[in-house]
Amino acid sequence: MLVDALAAERFRLLKDRGTVFWGVLFAPIAGLVLTIGGELFARRLMKGAPPIPVDLVGRMVKALAGGASPVMGLFVLILSAAVLAGDYRWETWRLLTPRNGRVNLLLAKLATAAIAVAVSLVLYALAAALGGLFSAATSGGAFVAYRGEALTDLAGTFAISWLQLVVLVALAALVGVATRSTMGALIVGLVFAAAQSMVATWMHEPSLKALLLPAFSGDLLKTALLQDRSVVDEPLPWAKALAFLLAWAVGLSAAALALFQRQDLTRE
Amino acid sequence: MSFALEAEGLTKTYGAVRALDDLTLKIPAGGVFGVLGPNGAGKSTLFRIAMGLVRPTSGVARLSGAPAGHVSSLRQVGAMIETPRYPPYLTARDALKMLALQSGAQDADIGGWLERVGLSDAADRKTSTFSVGMKQRLGLAAVFFTRPSLAILDEPTSGMDPAGIQEIRELIRRLAAEEGATIILASHQLDEVRRVCDRVAILSKGKLVAEGPVETLAGRKPALRLVASPVAQVLELLGDQGRADGPDAVLAQIERNEAPALIRALVNAGVDIHEARWREADLESAYLDILQAKEPADAR
Repeated sequence: MLVDALAAERFRLLKDRGTVFWGVLFAPIAGLVLTIGGELFARRLMKGAPPIPVDLVGRMVKALAGGASPVMGLFVLILSAAVLAGDYRWETWRLLTPRNGRVNLLLAKLATAAIAVAVSLVLYALAAALGGLFSAATSGGAFVAYRGEALTDLAGTFAISWLQLVVLVALAALVGVATRSTMGALIVGLVFAAAQSMVATWMHEPSLKALLLPAFSGDLLKTALLQDRSVVDEPLPWAKALAFLLAWAVGLSAAALALFQRQDLTRE
Repeated sequence: MSFALEAEGLTKTYGAVRALDDLTLKIPAGGVFGVLGPNGAGKSTLFRIAMGLVRPTSGVARLSGAPAGHVSSLRQVGAMIETPRYPPYLTARDALKMLALQSGAQDADIGGWLERVGLSDAADRKTSTFSVGMKQRLGLAAVFFTRPSLAILDEPTSGMDPAGIQEIRELIRRLAAEEGATIILASHQLDEVRRVCDRVAILSKGKLVAEGPVETLAGRKPALRLVASPVAQVLELLGDQGRADGPDAVLAQIERNEAPALIRALVNAGVDIHEARWREADLESAYLDILQAKEPADAR
């Protein structure tokens, strides 16, 4: 059953400390260290400058909005490659496939990786808030209220960045199954993440071609969510962007499942 | 009669290689069934198809009557295919816990099984530090701890030293007796199969070449082995009843009471007999006879 496969995958991931550190914890820790380091460095440069007000929610929204960057993608791919293609590397599919259905096994891996990505994103946002608290505590900067719908913006940026990262998880699943290699999943995913991010920066109009890029669709959705727009502005095709992002995640996952379902595990 | 594993016209090709070639085999439920064959005979491929790891090119495989590879049938089966491997970051206890969760068997007695296979002291050591023998023992625990009705053990003693082989063989025999499961055992160790199995199937080049109770297969007629010269003259005298056994020996398929007359005839014909000894029929010679008989047939 799927619930058994999920429990087994969760148990297994929690025991894989290396993957948990690099795939889940490293980005939030690095984010916090960089925030604090940057804060101290800036304060040394600008001695005597008045303390900057601290907007905790704003910091978290900003962190979540940038949570699907290629750098964050790298750590998500490390996690995904280990979870989704590790059994080819360790030749352990033969232990698992007789105990549960193949669809359940891969779905459980996809879900486990997606949940771990969500946890990492939440920690990343909390690290940004902790950085803000450090700034306020050490510089004496006052807290200011967030200008916007705090819950909507937090939930929205989280969901969009998570969906963008889930596209990478699904890509790692497909490439991992196709190449039977953790390195294959990692490298192809990384090239894809970097390339789409670069190409997305060159595109300005929300054409169908541009919306095909998960990075562009994600950025458009975040813009639609966070940017104040006047009634005279052209409405953003956010529904199309969301549909494309979902199609990427579902399509790649379905392709991975279909391939895995038919795959011979001669020597994993 | 119910069958633990059935193969009907099973064929599996990898490019130009036919790992299984229209194999039909029925392994009855109950007891210990041995599957013998040289490397590349198709034993592991048969098991991988049965466990749903590999899809057949054509033909059908069934486990306890259900389609092979189907979850419902797999949950009644434990399998150790070739040397078992585990995620290196898991301890022995964690590996079994993970497999128990995967099987939906949360109440499995993990500690008890680790003790039964002699791994209590290493239960909390990472499997990456285990010797081959320890991995095999953990593999056996993983096969049996969900109490399957069928256990498939593919080369369970491969890569082990003689003491380890002895230990695992004892363990399999004990588990088979205590658990009452049907066991299918593939091995190169003919002695192991002879000691542990009730029935045997011999595969060669993906085909079934012999099948039956161990004592029937092993119980072929004994042969008189003659180390004599010139060998050609002995073979000529024996005709269909003789065949070469190495460069300087002949196996004579004769009755025991015919031996004195044969030896007399050979001496009278000027043959020097250096040694004459009865070779009792055993599984090894039966196995080699069957495979040797298969080779010329294939060559034709």
